[in-house]
Amino acid sequence: MITASFGQIFAAAQADVMRRDAETGYKGPRPERGMASMMRIALAALAALMIGPAMAQAQQGPLRIEITDGVIEPLPYALPTFVAETGDAGQMANDITRVIAADLSGTGLFREIPESAHIQRFGAFDMPVSYPDWQAINAQALIVGGVSMQGGKVVVKFRLFDIYSGQQLGDGQQLAASPASWRRLAHKVADVIYSRVTGESGYFDSRVVFVSETGPKDARQKRLAVADYDGANIQYLTDSSTIVLAPRFSPDGGRVLYTTFETGFPRIKMLDTRNVAATLLPEIPGTMTFAPRFSPDGGSIVYSMEQGGNTDLWTMGVSGGSPSRLTNSPAIETAPSYSPDGSRIVFESDRSGTQQLYIMSAGGGEPTRISFGEGRYGTPVWSPRGDLIAFTKQHAGRFHIGVMRTDGSEERLLTASFLDEGPTWSPNGRVIMFTRESPGAAGGAQLFSVDISGRNLKKVDGVGAASDPAWSPLLP
Amino acid sequence: MDRADKIGTGVSAVLHLGVIAWVLLGGSWFKPKPSEPIVMQEVSVISEAEFSAMVAAAPKASETPVAEMPAQPQPQPVEQPAPEEAPVPEPQPQPMPEPVAEPEPQPDMSDLEPVEPAEVTEVPPSMMPPVEVPQDTTTPDFSARPVPKPAPRVAPKPAEAPAPDAKVSELAEPETRPEESAEPEQVIEEPKEEAAPPEATTEIVTEATETEEVAKTSAPASSARPRTKPAKPAPAPTETAAAKPAAATKPAEAKPATDAVNDALAEAMAEEAQGTGGTGRAASGPPVTAGEKEALIVDVKACWNVGALSSEALRTTVTLRVAMNPDGKPDIGSIEMVGYEGGSDAAARQAYEAGRRAIVRCGSDGFPLPAEKYDHWREIEIVFNPEKMRMK
Repeated sequence: MITASFGQIFAAAQADVMRRDAETGYKGPRPERGMASMMRIALAALAALMIGPAMAQAQQGPLRIEITDGVIEPLPYALPTFVAETGDAGQMANDITRVIAADLSGTGLFREIPESAHIQRFGAFDMPVSYPDWQAINAQALIVGGVSMQGGKVVVKFRLFDIYSGQQLGDGQQLAASPASWRRLAHKVADVIYSRVTGESGYFDSRVVFVSETGPKDARQKRLAVADYDGANIQYLTDSSTIVLAPRFSPDGGRVLYTTFETGFPRIKMLDTRNVAATLLPEIPGTMTFAPRFSPDGGSIVYSMEQGGNTDLWTMGVSGGSPSRLTNSPAIETAPSYSPDGSRIVFESDRSGTQQLYIMSAGGGEPTRISFGEGRYGTPVWSPRGDLIAFTKQHAGRFHIGVMRTDGSEERLLTASFLDEGPTWSPNGRVIMFTRESPGAAGGAQLFSVDISGRNLKKVDGVGAASDPAWSPLLP
Repeated sequence: MDRADKIGTGVSAVLHLGVIAWVLLGGSWFKPKPSEPIVMQEVSVISEAEFSAMVAAAPKASETPVAEMPAQPQPQPVEQPAPEEAPVPEPQPQPMPEPVAEPEPQPDMSDLEPVEPAEVTEVPPSMMPPVEVPQDTTTPDFSARPVPKPAPRVAPKPAEAPAPDAKVSELAEPETRPEESAEPEQVIEEPKEEAAPPEATTEIVTEATETEEVAKTSAPASSARPRTKPAKPAPAPTETAAAKPAAATKPAEAKPATDAVNDALAEAMAEEAQGTGGTGRAASGPPVTAGEKEALIVDVKACWNVGALSSEALRTTVTLRVAMNPDGKPDIGSIEMVGYEGGSDAAARQAYEAGRRAIVRCGSDGFPLPAEKYDHWREIEIVFNPEKMRMK
C-alpha cells in the first residue's frame, strides 16, 4: 500500500541531504544550505500530499485470481478414420482407428466426438487443419492419420493437434508392423496420444496374464492365459489338468511365475512365455510354496513357504540357489510385493490377530504395520510409481479394492462388492485390474478394471470367466 | 393507599398469578401419566364334549409334517440345472492339451519397428491459407517491418534528423543547443550521443542502406495494420529510452530538490509494485470488486477441465498471465506460464495446457469484466490450484 508515502518521501529527502554531505565530506553545520534542505523536504512533503492519494487508488500489476476447483470430464477429441493411402489399406485403416478410439475412450479420460459431427473431412493425410471447424464442435484434440500397405507391412502415420492452441502437439510419428500385429500398432499410437495429452505414459500396448476359468463353481477348471490388456488375442499357456493360481509377470514380461497344484500341493513354477516351457522351482522337501513375485530387477523372487504349519516369507534367486528367510514369526505372512526400487517389501500378516499390511526392508527385518482401518487387509501390491499400495479389504461382509500411501495414510476404497480381490497395477500406475466374483452357484469370476480415482469401473471383455490378473510392463 | 397496602396488593397479585399459572400449566406438567388401558382377553367357554372332540381331531396333525418334507427335495432339482449350464462352456476343456503341445505363437512382436518420427514431420501442417488482405494497396513499397531509424553514430552525416524529436530529453537540451553555433558536423554528433539514444534502434544502419530509406520513412502515413497483437513490447522500451538519457546526460549535480522527490517517488512506486510484477502502468478508476472477481472465477472454472490430467499434474499449481483486450476477450498469444510449484516440468506443462484451454474456451465470448475498469484488468494472472480436484 501507499500509506507510508509521506514518511518515505520525507525520510528520503533527509537521507538525500545526508548522502550529499557524505559525498562531499562535509560534517559541520551548513547555514547556507539549511534553506535548500528545508526546501527539498517541503517539496517532498508536497509531492507526497499530491501524489499519494492518486497512487493509493491505482492498482499496480495484473488482476490476480485463484481457481481452486474446476470440472472433471473426459476430454473431447476427434479421430477421423485414418486415411487409406493405398487401395488395400481401407479395412485396416478403419480397424486401427477403432482400436485407437476404444483405447482412448476406454480410459474414461477422453470422449470421442462422433465422426458424423465432423465438419472438416480429411481426404489426405497432409491436408491442413481447419482449427475453427474443430473448435466449432468443441474438439480439444484432433488425431489425423494415414495407413498404407508397403512391402507386406502395415505402415501407420499420425499427427496430434491441440485445437485450442492451434498447433501440433509433438511430432508426427510413423510405425510399421506385420499385418498380424495391427492391434499392437493401434495400441502404440494410442499410447503416444495418451502420453502427450495427459503427461503420463500409456498402458495400451501391454498384456495381462490371468487364470481362465471354466466349469461350475464346485468343479472349476483353471488354466493360465494371456491376452492384450483389452481382452483381445487370448492365448492359453497351460492346460486345465491341474489347478493354477496367481500368475505374475517378470519385469521384462518374458516369464511368468505361478502356483500349481500338479503335485497335489502348491508349488511354484516359472514359465517362459516365448516357448511356453514351464519349470518347477526348487523347494525344501516337505514344504509348500506359493504367492511368488519377481523382484524389480527380475533376478530373484519372493514367496511364501509353509513349513511345519507356519508360513513365512522367503526369497530365492531365479536361477536357483538356497532360499533365505525374510520373516520368522508364528503368524502367517504372505502376498509379498516389492517396491519399484526393490528396497522394501509390502506383505500381509495376521501377527496382530487380524490380517493387516506390513512393510519391511527387502532383506528382512522388523516390519512396520501400515493398515489400521477397520476390517482385514490383504494382497497388497506396490504401484509402479512407488507412491501407492493397492490392496483388498474385507469389512462388514463386503470386499473392496483400495489404495493407500506407502505409510498407510490417505486410504481410499475404489470398489465394493460381494467379492473383489487381487489387484494388479497397469504399467503406468493409473489403472487397477482385479477379480470380481458374483454370488450364487452360477456366479463366476470376471476381470474388472478401475481408475485410481475410483471412476471408470468396467469389465474386461473378451476373456470370459477369469481371475488373478497380473499386468505386464509396456511391451517394447 | 399507603406503601404497606401497595406491597400487600403486589404480593397478593403475585401469589394469585402463581396459583393461576400452576392451575393452568402445572396441571399438565405434573399430571400423572395415564395408566395403560387394561386389555381384556376375550375368552370363550367350551364344554368338555367340545374339547374332547377337538382332541380327537388332533391325530390329523401328524400328517402335515410329512406333507412339508417334500419341499426340501425341491431345491435339489433346482440345483441340477446349474451343472447343466456349465457344460455349455465345457467343450473347451477337451481340446485343452493343445495349448501345451503347441508352443504359443507369441505375436511376432519383433517385427514392430521402432518409431520413425522424421517421415511425418517433414510437412508441418499449417493453418488454412491466410485470407488476402487488401491492405497492400496502401503500402506497396515499404516492408511492413518498421525501418530502423538512422543511427547518427554510424552515419557521420549531420542531416536534419535531430531537429524535430531530439528534445525528448529535456535535461539534455540546454547543453546540446548552445554548442550548435560551431561547426555543424561535430557539434551535432555530440548531443546525439546523449539525447538521441531514445530515437536509436537496436540495429545499426550502415551508410549504404541508410541513404534512401531515411527519406522515405514517413512510416505513419502508410503503416500497415498490425498483423497480430504486438507482444506488448511498447512499455519496456519507452521506459528505458526515457530513463536513460536523463541519467546519462545529467550525472548528479543538476537539481537536488527534484532529485530527492524523484528518488522518493521511485522508491514508493517500487514498493507499491513489488510482488505484483506489474507493468508499471497506474490504473485509474475504482478497483475491480470482489463480486466482479468472483464472476470471473466462476467463468474460468467452468472451463477448467482437469479430467485428463495426470495425478502429478493434479499436484501442480500453475500461474498463468494473460493480456486482455478491452472487449473482455483474452489475447491468446499472450498467455504464458509465469510460475508453478509442486510438480515436475512435464506436469507443469500439462497443468499449463489445461489452464490455457480454460482461458481460451471460456474467454472466446469475453469474460464478464466491467469495461470501465479495463485499466485494472488489462492483464490478469490466474492461479490454477487443483488442490480440491485431487483424488482423495
